[in-house]
Amino acid sequence: MLKPWEVVGRGMLPPWSMVRANARGLLAIARILLGNLAAVRALMRQSRRWTYEPPPRGYELPEYEAGMVNRSSRKKYLRPTLYCDCRDRRITAMAQRLGAGGTSARAFAETAFDFVKRNVAFEISPLADAADVLGRGAGSCLHKISLFVALCRAAGIEARYRFFSLTMLDNYMEPEFERAPLIRKWYDAMGSFLLHGSGEARIGGEWVCADVGAEPPRQAASGLPLTRFGEDSIGLWLFPVPGTMFRSESVPLGLGWPAKFLMKRFAGTVAGFNAGILEQIEKGRRIIEAAGGEAAYDAGARRRHGATVAAQGLLEPNERIVFQRD
Amino acid sequence: MSGGYEATIAAFDRRMAGYIPPRSAWTPVDEAVYGPPDPFRVPEAEARRLRLAAIRYSFTRHYEQNRFYHRLCSEHGFAPRHLRGPGDLARVPMLPDRLFREYPPGRDFALWLGNLFSGELPRIVVAKADPGPDAVLEAFRRAGLEIAFSSGTSGRLKFVPRDRPTFLALQYTFMKSVVAMLYPHWDRRAHVYLMMPDPRRTALYAGRSCEAFFSAFDQVRVGLDRAVSAGQVRAAMGGGGGVRGMIARSLARRGTRRLVADVTRWLESREKGGEKIALVGPPFVLAAVMDRLQREGRAFAFGERAMIGTGGGWKTHEGRRLPLADFRARVERTLGIPGRLCLDGYGMVESNAFMVHCPEGHYLHVPHSFFEPLVLDNDQRPLPRGEWGRFAFLDASAASFPGFILTGDRARLLERCPACDRPGPVLDPEVRRLDGEEARGCAEEVRRLLAADLGGRRE
Repeated sequence: MLKPWEVVGRGMLPPWSMVRANARGLLAIARILLGNLAAVRALMRQSRRWTYEPPPRGYELPEYEAGMVNRSSRKKYLRPTLYCDCRDRRITAMAQRLGAGGTSARAFAETAFDFVKRNVAFEISPLADAADVLGRGAGSCLHKISLFVALCRAAGIEARYRFFSLTMLDNYMEPEFERAPLIRKWYDAMGSFLLHGSGEARIGGEWVCADVGAEPPRQAASGLPLTRFGEDSIGLWLFPVPGTMFRSESVPLGLGWPAKFLMKRFAGTVAGFNAGILEQIEKGRRIIEAAGGEAAYDAGARRRHGATVAAQGLLEPNERIVFQRD
Repeated sequence: MSGGYEATIAAFDRRMAGYIPPRSAWTPVDEAVYGPPDPFRVPEAEARRLRLAAIRYSFTRHYEQNRFYHRLCSEHGFAPRHLRGPGDLARVPMLPDRLFREYPPGRDFALWLGNLFSGELPRIVVAKADPGPDAVLEAFRRAGLEIAFSSGTSGRLKFVPRDRPTFLALQYTFMKSVVAMLYPHWDRRAHVYLMMPDPRRTALYAGRSCEAFFSAFDQVRVGLDRAVSAGQVRAAMGGGGGVRGMIARSLARRGTRRLVADVTRWLESREKGGEKIALVGPPFVLAAVMDRLQREGRAFAFGERAMIGTGGGWKTHEGRRLPLADFRARVERTLGIPGRLCLDGYGMVESNAFMVHCPEGHYLHVPHSFFEPLVLDNDQRPLPRGEWGRFAFLDASAASFPGFILTGDRARLLERCPACDRPGPVLDPEVRRLDGEEARGCAEEVRRLLAADLGGRRE
C-alpha cells in the first residue's frame, strides 16, 4: 500500500486538466443517456449485432529463468507504478528475450517499441497490469504504453507516459464508429476523446516518443505512414486538445473503475468497437499486401504525406505587421 | 424573368455591380471571371484561351509578389517563362491544402498570415504583443482584409487571406454559378432562407461565401442569427474550450431545434403566400426539416416556384453519407420540389470557384474560363480523364494568395458532361476525402455548430 506522499511522488494523482476532462466526459455521456433514452436504446440494440472474438496472441511467452536480471530500480521512471509492475517475472523474461542488457538503450527501446506496436493487438478492455497485457496479447493504447514502459524500465531505461485529450481524422475511426454509434455520439457531444497517449523513453538524455498504440495495418487502413520509434502521430491522424497534455511517471488514479463500469454496462458497444478495429486491421493488411509489403507501402505513404511544402519564409519578419505593447 | 438568358444575366450584373471592377481596369483574370455571360457555357476554345491567359497572369503576379511562393517556385525550377502553353499548367507549383492549417501560435500566426499574402499588404496593427488568433484576425479585418476560415473535424482551423477584390470575386463567381445553372429560375423577389450562420456576422467560409445572396435577392432570412467566431467553431469542432466551449456546444444544441422549427414555419408562411422560395444550406438541416414533416405526416407542394441549393458535404447526424438521389426523391415527396431544382455545389475555402450540379444529370460543372481542374496520381502526375485520383486545381481568380492547390479530395474528371450539352469538364458528383486526410466539409462544421449531441432527434 503506497503512502499518500508516494501517490503524489509517483505522479498517480491526475492533473486538474484531466479531472476536468473526465468530469466533462461523464457529464456528456450522462446527458446523452438521460436526455435521449429511446435513441440510446436503439443505438445499443444496433451494437448488439456485433460479436467480438479477441484475436489469438501473436507470440510465445518466454519462461522466466533464475538469473534473469531485472534492471528496474527505486528511482523515478525506473520503478513500478500503477498498472506498470516492471518487476513482474513475465516482464523480466520478455525484456530479456528482447535483448535487455545485451544491446544499447536505443536498440532495446526500438525493439520493445516494435514488439508492442506490432504484436499486441489494439482492443478496448478494462485496465490491467502490463504483465497481464503481455499475457493476453491485446489492449488499448493505455495498456500498450504500460507494457512498453514496463519493458523499458525492466531493461534499465527510464520511461514515462504522455497523455492528452484528442480529436482524430474521421476516417481513422470510421469502422469503429460504424459498429459503435453510441461512442460516435459521445465523441460528438464531447467534441473530443477523453484520453490517449504514447510512451516516452529516455535515450542519451532525451525523451523519445514511442507511439505504440496503432498497429501498422490500422495506420495503413487510413493511408497513413507507419510511425516508427521517435515519430509522433500528432498532426498525422490525431490532434491533441490544447491545454490537456501532461507527462507522468504513472497512469493516474481514478481511471480503472469508470472504465470497468462503462465497459460492463455497454458491452455490446465495446464489442462493436473492437470488431471495427479487427476490420480496420484486415483492410490495412490488404492495402499493405497490395502495395508490395510494408516497406513499399510506407515509402509511398511517406511520399504522399511528406508533400507538405517546406514553409520557410512564412515566419520571416514583415515590416507591414506591427505589434503594439500590451 | 423574360428576355432570355442575356437579359437575366444583365439584370443580375446590375444588382451585383458593386462586385464587378470597372471594365477599363480589367486584367486577363477579370476578363475570364467577369467576362463570360455564363461560366458553364463558354465554348471550349474560348475557355482555353481565357484560362491560359488568366492563369499566366495570376501565376506571374504570385511569383513576383509573394516571397514564399517565389521560393517554392525556385525549388521546383519553374518560372513564368516556363508557362508557355496548356501543357505546362500541370507543372505550376501547387500548395497542399493542409498548408493553410499549419500555422504557429501567437505573434507568429500574424506573420504567417501576412507572408501568405500576395501583393502589397496593408499596414496591420496587432493590438497585443502576444495575440491570440481572434486578435490577429481582428487586426487583419481592421486593415480591410477578409480572413475566411474553415475547419476539419480535428478542430484545427484553416485560414485563407483575401483582399477585397479576391473576396468580391469569390462572392460574384459563387452567386453567378448558381444563377446561371438555375436559369430561368432566378428571381430577385424570391424569398431565400440561408440555413447557416449569418454571412455578415462570421468569417466562417460556410457562411461568409453566401453574403452575395443579400445582393442578388430582396428577401433573405438567416438561420443562425448570431456572430460565430473562430473560437466558437474551434470549440464545436475540436472540443475543449472549457466553460466557453460548453456554452458554445449548448447554444448549438438549442440552435438546431430552433432552426428546424423556424424553417418549417417559414415554409408554411411562404406556401400560404404563394411566393417563390430558395432554401440554401447544408443538406443535413433540410434532412432534419423533412424528418420532422414526415413524422407529422405533412408535405408541401412548392413545385417550380422553389429551388434548393446545398453544399458542404453529405453526412447526416449519424455520420453516414446521404445518397444524393434519395435526398432529391425525399425533397420531391416532402416539399414537392422537382429534383432538377435541387442542386448541390462543391467549393472550398482555398478556392474562389464554385462547381455546381447541372439540373439535367447532377454532375459538377467547372467554371473553366478561369479554373483548371486536375486529377493527379500519387506522384502528382496528371491522370487521364475518367480516372480517380487526388483533386488539384489552378484558380486564377485568387489575387491575394496563390490559388494553386493540391487538395485532399478524391475525384474523377470527365471530359464532357454525360447528361447535358454544356461544354467543359465535369467532376463526378461523388467527391470524397482521400484516406489519411482530415475530414472536412462546411456541412460538418455547421452540423457540429448546431448539433453537438443527438441534435436533430428532439426538435
